Amino acid sequence: MTVKVQTARARRLGRARIGGVAAERLISVGSPVLLLLVWEALGRLGLVDVRFFPPPSAIAGTFATLVASGELLDQTRISLGRVIIGFLIGAVPGVVLGLVMGMSRIVRAALNPMVGALYPIPKSAILPLLLLIFGIGEPSKYAIVASGVFFLVLLNTIAGVLSIEPVYLDVGRNFGASRLQAFWTIALPGALPLVFTGLRLAWGIALILIVVGEMFASQSGLGYFINNMYQTFQVEKMYAGLIVMSVIGYVSFLILDELQRWLVPWRGDRAV
Amino acid sequence: MNDGVRVAARHLGMHFSLRGADLVALDDVNLQVRDREFCCIVGPSGCGKSTFLRILAGLERQTSGELHVEVRDPANPLTAMVFQEQSIFPWMTVEENVGYGLRMRGVHASVRKRVVDHYLEKVGLAHFARAYPHQMSGGMKQRASVARAFATDPEILLMDEPFASVDEQTRALLQEELLRVWESDRKTVVYITHSIDEALVLGDRVIVMSARPGRVKAEIEVTLPRPRSVYELKSTPAFSELVARVWEPLRREVLASYGALGQAS
Ligand SMILES: Nc1ncnc2c1ncn2[C@@H]1O[C@H](COP(=O)(O)OP(=O)(O)OP(=O)(O)O)[C@@H](O)[C@H]1O
Ligand SMILES: [Mg+2]
Repeated sequence: MTVKVQTARARRLGRARIGGVAAERLISVGSPVLLLLVWEALGRLGLVDVRFFPPPSAIAGTFATLVASGELLDQTRISLGRVIIGFLIGAVPGVVLGLVMGMSRIVRAALNPMVGALYPIPKSAILPLLLLIFGIGEPSKYAIVASGVFFLVLLNTIAGVLSIEPVYLDVGRNFGASRLQAFWTIALPGALPLVFTGLRLAWGIALILIVVGEMFASQSGLGYFINNMYQTFQVEKMYAGLIVMSVIGYVSFLILDELQRWLVPWRGDRAV
Repeated sequence: MNDGVRVAARHLGMHFSLRGADLVALDDVNLQVRDREFCCIVGPSGCGKSTFLRILAGLERQTSGELHVEVRDPANPLTAMVFQEQSIFPWMTVEENVGYGLRMRGVHASVRKRVVDHYLEKVGLAHFARAYPHQMSGGMKQRASVARAFATDPEILLMDEPFASVDEQTRALLQEELLRVWESDRKTVVYITHSIDEALVLGDRVIVMSARPGRVKAEIEVTLPRPRSVYELKSTPAFSELVARVWEPLRREVLASYGALGQAS
């Protein structure tokens, strides 16, 4: 008897939750649509200044022509190329050095002061220095992205190695793993969840830094484009540039999620 | 070294410095383990059992005394340990875990697979070869850990309370499995446990250690015939008599360790 009552209640709870999910999805799709509609209406009614907030329909039109002319895609390709190269230049050494520092107390002691001193400097503040060193060309863009990425990945990788239960390193020693083998079979996979945390944070920073770099020291790329449209007061085009940035951010984090699920399968359910 | 003796500890001592204070974990341990012997060690918590095993495994170095481990076949690893805590790599599948020692020694993948499958079969994990540890129960992880040590084919197996964290029924099953695997390989085993029953069911000899600092307090030969069955054995009079013989010296040491705790707090 009680059993029946319980299952009935459980089923009702289950249904309520399914209904809840559908409602949630509806709300999360509906709310941005509503916002766009309100924005459009306010613009048309003259309640906001369309010079600063052009109605979404106008932006969409401009966006379409920019895409058709290829201008936006060119700038996007340039920015993406820079940010990916800079990211790799920063992330790969960050992971490798992070593993070494995590595994070796001595290396950690030797390098920690430098890392501690350099990490807190806002990387946008060293742009002028990087321009002095690398000139106005591509290398300075890679450098600013890499400098931001490197430290975040490094610190998270070190933390990742240090978070590995000591017993796993004992297993490596007891089962005859060489230092290099321990590196690949224990330190790297053991640190991987936190390495990924570092990569995600670093990617976010990389997107910021490339835009900063392009705004102040470039004649191409999305950062330059957005800034240029602002200065020539082509606000609709500026918005088009912002939309592309938003899409890049959104899609790239989806890709990172997928990559993580694929590379860290032992975390199973716990993606992100 | 005497013929037939694989491990000999003489005046073995181990000091740790714990926040400046000197902590004596082992003090003058003298014991021998014979070839192909299943040697069980019992003793109160904190008496240095794990420390002794870690020294045997080469993970720690004694601060005084000598330890001789006879190498018979240099091609094989000297020891393989089943750790007290959960030690199966979460980032490897069960078969990768079990084959880890062989892989580190550069054993060819096809040979490795045969050995791994053999031991997975023996510990009843054949269907979980591709599973990750987070998909398995605690008892299954310990079984994988045991299989990993056996698969490595060490000269001496070291087991540190491998079944302490599983429930009683599962433990009895695992002991039964371990007996079957061991009785077919007859490796030299040093096995640590808190349980007198377990020590007697599995071992050829039980060594009772004193409360910290650990020393050898008593040695009891387990004369029960093999092959053994966990369930039948426990109801025999011979078994009860042995329990009493181990319990007698152990009880005093356990009480002493509580006494030490009482004084400390
Ligand atoms: N690395 C270490 N540094 C300092 N003290 C240690 C260290 N390892 C062990 N000890 C101390 O040595 C003593 C013996 O520890 P050990 O782990 O060998 O005990 P045990 O007999 O295995 O206990 P249990 O049965 O609870 O597992 C304990 O008091 C412990 O605190
Ligand atoms: Mg222990």
